[in-house]
Amino acid sequence: MADSMAEFFTELQLNYGYLIRPLIVGTLVSIVCSVVGCFIVLRRMAFLADAIAHSMLAGVIGGYLLMKVFYQQDSNLTAMLIGAILAGILTVAMVGFVTKFSRVKQDTAIGIMYTGIFAFSAFFISLGSVSKYIQIDIYHFIIGDIMAVDNSELWLLAIVASIVLPVVILFYRPLQLTTFDPIMAAAIGVPVMAVEYLLTACTSLVVVSGVQIAGVILVVALIITPAATAYLLTDRLDRMIITSAIVGVLCFWLGFVVAVFLGTEPGATIVVMMTGVFLGGLVFAPKYGLLADWIRKSNTVPQEMMEDVLGCVLRAKGKSVPVTEVLKHIKKPAPRVRKSITMLERQGLLDVDNDKVLLTDDGRFQAKKLVRAHRLWETYLDRTGALPKEKIHDTAHLLEHISDEKTVEYLDDKLGHPVTDPHGSIIPNDSELVVGKDLLLSVLRDGNRATVVKTNGVAASSDLKVGEQITMGPRTDGGQIWVVVTSAGEKLSLTHDEVDAVVVRLLEDT
Amino acid sequence: MIANAKNSDDVPAIKVQHLTVSYGPVPALLDVSVEIPQGKLVGIIGPNGSGKSTLMKSMLGFIKPDVGTVDIFGTDVSQVKGRVAYVPQRGSVDWDFPITVREVAAMGRYSYRRWWQDLKKEDFRLADEALEKVRMSDFKDRQIGQLSGGQQQRVFMARALAQDADILLLDEPFAGVDAATERAILDVLQETKEAGKTVVVVHHDLGTAAEYFNLIILLKQRLFGFGTPRQVLNQKLLSDVYEGNLKVFAELARHPSDEVDGG
Ligand SMILES: Nc1ncnc2c1ncn2[C@@H]1O[C@H](COP(=O)(O)OP(=O)(O)O)[C@@H](O)[C@H]1O
Ligand SMILES: [Mg+2]
Repeated sequence: MADSMAEFFTELQLNYGYLIRPLIVGTLVSIVCSVVGCFIVLRRMAFLADAIAHSMLAGVIGGYLLMKVFYQQDSNLTAMLIGAILAGILTVAMVGFVTKFSRVKQDTAIGIMYTGIFAFSAFFISLGSVSKYIQIDIYHFIIGDIMAVDNSELWLLAIVASIVLPVVILFYRPLQLTTFDPIMAAAIGVPVMAVEYLLTACTSLVVVSGVQIAGVILVVALIITPAATAYLLTDRLDRMIITSAIVGVLCFWLGFVVAVFLGTEPGATIVVMMTGVFLGGLVFAPKYGLLADWIRKSNTVPQEMMEDVLGCVLRAKGKSVPVTEVLKHIKKPAPRVRKSITMLERQGLLDVDNDKVLLTDDGRFQAKKLVRAHRLWETYLDRTGALPKEKIHDTAHLLEHISDEKTVEYLDDKLGHPVTDPHGSIIPNDSELVVGKDLLLSVLRDGNRATVVKTNGVAASSDLKVGEQITMGPRTDGGQIWVVVTSAGEKLSLTHDEVDAVVVRLLEDT
Repeated sequence: MIANAKNSDDVPAIKVQHLTVSYGPVPALLDVSVEIPQGKLVGIIGPNGSGKSTLMKSMLGFIKPDVGTVDIFGTDVSQVKGRVAYVPQRGSVDWDFPITVREVAAMGRYSYRRWWQDLKKEDFRLADEALEKVRMSDFKDRQIGQLSGGQQQRVFMARALAQDADILLLDEPFAGVDAATERAILDVLQETKEAGKTVVVVHHDLGTAAEYFNLIILLKQRLFGFGTPRQVLNQKLLSDVYEGNLKVFAELARHPSDEVDGG
């Protein structure tokens, strides 16, 4: 038994031993790439990472030539790596320069810079006189070849990993804070720019190591795809980082094994796995997935339907309405209408008793606001004449759900505080119209009594005095003229501008 | 802790001198000088794009001015750490960021720990207390995007409270919140002021400005007015800044400024 086990491992070692090194390297690289990738995704720097990858070619060549010319050495990896990192930082600096000093925006600047640097490098090494000197396998560089990683490269990648991972752990809070809220970071003394440079340096390191696996073109996927998948799955940065690392490593292993057995290009195979997992996440993620979204949507009742129910019950003028009646009026699937009724009851807007519904005080307040919004929108649509008459009601019905205070107030003011809508129905009064409250005179209705609190500018010419009690009469002139009866019994006719300049405090009706 | 160092009372909390800041050819702020005394509730008012947020970012040391200085309790803002807390404008926050309510509140404690240190139990206790104070304890583990506008505002209030800084800057905390939340936020601000802190708020509802603030900074690229509501909210200055927007005066009339004690 033990013998056969040992034999099995010897066998494994003989046949697959060459795979161990790339497997270790790949695992390391996947972890650092996916971890740093989280910050790159959250800061929207993906394109920049891509740029760094491309401009690396220039650095690699520079480093190579340096070693060749000065030390007669072929392929010193350290020099090439340092060259690559310098090229990455140079790209970032140039992008920053172009963005700052010209009107060209950042994405364009990145696009120009990295393709330029990449093209220059390719142009340069294909020059006859230079190409004699250089034996860099461009194909390896563009596609990546993890199987060809040698011992010195392995060491290098191990060192990159052991620099980058501790940096991210040590600088976790500054990185998190500068990404989330750079202004607060500055306020508590975090050197925001320095942290950004640190992250850029880490990105360069990570890109350089990722290129060994996936090549220039695909390396960005190693960095952002696992991070983006994790982003769909979690709600906390620390968990996102761990999830991203796990996704990255698993996809790498899977892709690696598949590539070995099918004899496919490893880099491409790994990226295919990552993309597949991301798409899976996009659909099936428990909270942010499309499926979850769809289920959620079909389970909740939209706000509009609840508001329609309120409006329907309000029109019964204080009487209770059988649920069946509500179902008849609202032409939507019955189970969902029933659900809206339950939700409204839970919110304290409806009382349900014996399959009959009644508005609570709160419910009446809300419903009135709604009807007010609806009728004001109708008046507005009618006056602007932008729509054919038969469409007005339906459009107003859609618009009434845009019932925020400011919008409605604006409409009301613009329309000259109308009392009735185009069908002659009364528009419910402003919900601010409460006894004891200070209001503009313009929102008062026929029969309201109030004390004048302040007159302003335009109204000074008329005969209203601060402290005086007034009663509102019915509007005249098609609603254009407000009639105010003073305590002395005098009738004043005021225009919209005049009543808008008077502040009153509402009194109890007599 | 530095953030609690005592100040001599006469030194202004924030002193801005000849501040000019530009993003392009037109300066966002031009030659702005104000001295905000300690222990006041101060409003910054002005139309959109008038440089209110820019002024605030300068007070936080986030923006380097072209000309001028900002001193916090007599020290240049670049040398000051953690004495100013900040509640960002709602539109400038990434609400999809993977972070929970409690984690945001705990950020208020970052200035008390070295950057490599973990937060302590004590820090989370204080963060929880701050959340309690703004009545957000029930939502501790929610991701911040899954809250209503008013709740989101309160989370950042909690962060500022947990920081326990001497100066509190808020950028449009009342935008897009309901009346009850507005009241609740205002109460916390008033309480903070009573505790001797200086509170500066960007606000753009002229109607409530006189009621809410002790001092008002009226801004439109330049400083148009600084003083009590009664001094600043007069027709002449307002029409200079708002260029004859009548609706503004109507709103102002609703909340007569002369009822307010401007001290
Ligand atoms: N990051 C920026 N880059 C370029 N221009 C900016 C930037 N931030 C603000 N501005 C410009 O500066 C001016 C003042 O903006 P801001 O301080 O945000 O005004 P406010 O907060 O009063 O609305 C505006 O014209 C705005 O367009
Ligand atoms: Mg602003």
